[in-house]
Amino acid sequence: MTSQIEQQLRELGDERAPATLLPSVLAKLQGAESYFDLPTEIGTAFVIHGPEGISAVHVADGEEQLWARLGFRMERREPPVELRDRVAAALAGRPVELRFDLHRLTPFERDVLQKALEIPRGEVRTYGWIAREIGRPRAVRAVGTALAKNPIPLFIPCHRVVRSDGSIGQYGCGGPVNKRRLLLHEGVPESALGRTLAV
Amino acid sequence: MEDFEALVRRHQDAIFAFALNLTGDHAEADDVAQEAFVRAWRAYGGYDDERRETLKERPWLHRIALNVFRNRLRRPIPVELREESAAAPPAREPERVVLRNAARDQLRRHLLALPRPYREAVVLRHVQGLPYADAALVLGVPVGTVKSNCHRGLRRLQERLGGLTEVS
Repeated sequence: MTSQIEQQLRELGDERAPATLLPSVLAKLQGAESYFDLPTEIGTAFVIHGPEGISAVHVADGEEQLWARLGFRMERREPPVELRDRVAAALAGRPVELRFDLHRLTPFERDVLQKALEIPRGEVRTYGWIAREIGRPRAVRAVGTALAKNPIPLFIPCHRVVRSDGSIGQYGCGGPVNKRRLLLHEGVPESALGRTLAV
Repeated sequence: MEDFEALVRRHQDAIFAFALNLTGDHAEADDVAQEAFVRAWRAYGGYDDERRETLKERPWLHRIALNVFRNRLRRPIPVELREESAAAPPAREPERVVLRNAARDQLRRHLLALPRPYREAVVLRHVQGLPYADAALVLGVPVGTVKSNCHRGLRRLQERLGGLTEVS
């Protein structure tokens, strides 16, 4: 009897998804967000934005590489002129307000990124500084992890966070070379970047 | 995950079946499956390379779908299978298929009536065919718990379906 029930249970799993399922999923992914690109110091930045603001930034060689990372062909859509202007101004270091969609992150990750936003252009801070500032002084490693997962690099300046021993630390958008390039571009003196930065 | 569309194609039947056997409702199952894939895509974006490479797609997607289902339970949703759903099949359907559908509906109805821990374990192991270890991963409980919940669930089904007509 048991094996008969098991056989019948197995048959309950023999279902076909509605033909509309995949198109509906893709429509939800594509409908909410789109992207545009603009040149930066370290390559082309693809800025993904939706109703809640900018949700991700990818530095990629082109659309094919972007789509490979996303896993599907997201639609390119020109942003409102005002948004493009603000994004360009932010990259140039002018003080503008940008809306970031960080709802997919944990409260801790959001705290870390909010704190990174306070680091002025042309300056750097350590992972330990962020940990202390957000009231989690022992969570230095977790701060590093949260910065590594920063979905909006360049605009949320995780590149301005370096190690306490003076070495530059890792960087998701092209490694330490690009991190160094960005910091120099932002006006951090070469002498301040430490001996271990000669990469 | 080289291609999200390919991932959805690979798993959409299984995840839809999973959702259907948890909810008992086609429209609800469609919603759960859609939301699960959207969440999967978003979660994937936040994973580092190591996590992406070691991801076990099948249990991962089942876990996301299970979470979607559980979250929706907090809303008042009428989950009921109507008696007449199997009673009015299309006229041209062969009798054997009609019998089979009726038996499936009856089994699904009893499955839905199981306490949730039993139902989730039985659906994952016996309907979806996940190994116990993967079912335990999905449910976030020890393997032993999955086994005992499956055992109890099957026993209850057996009691309720004691007089189930054998269909072939």
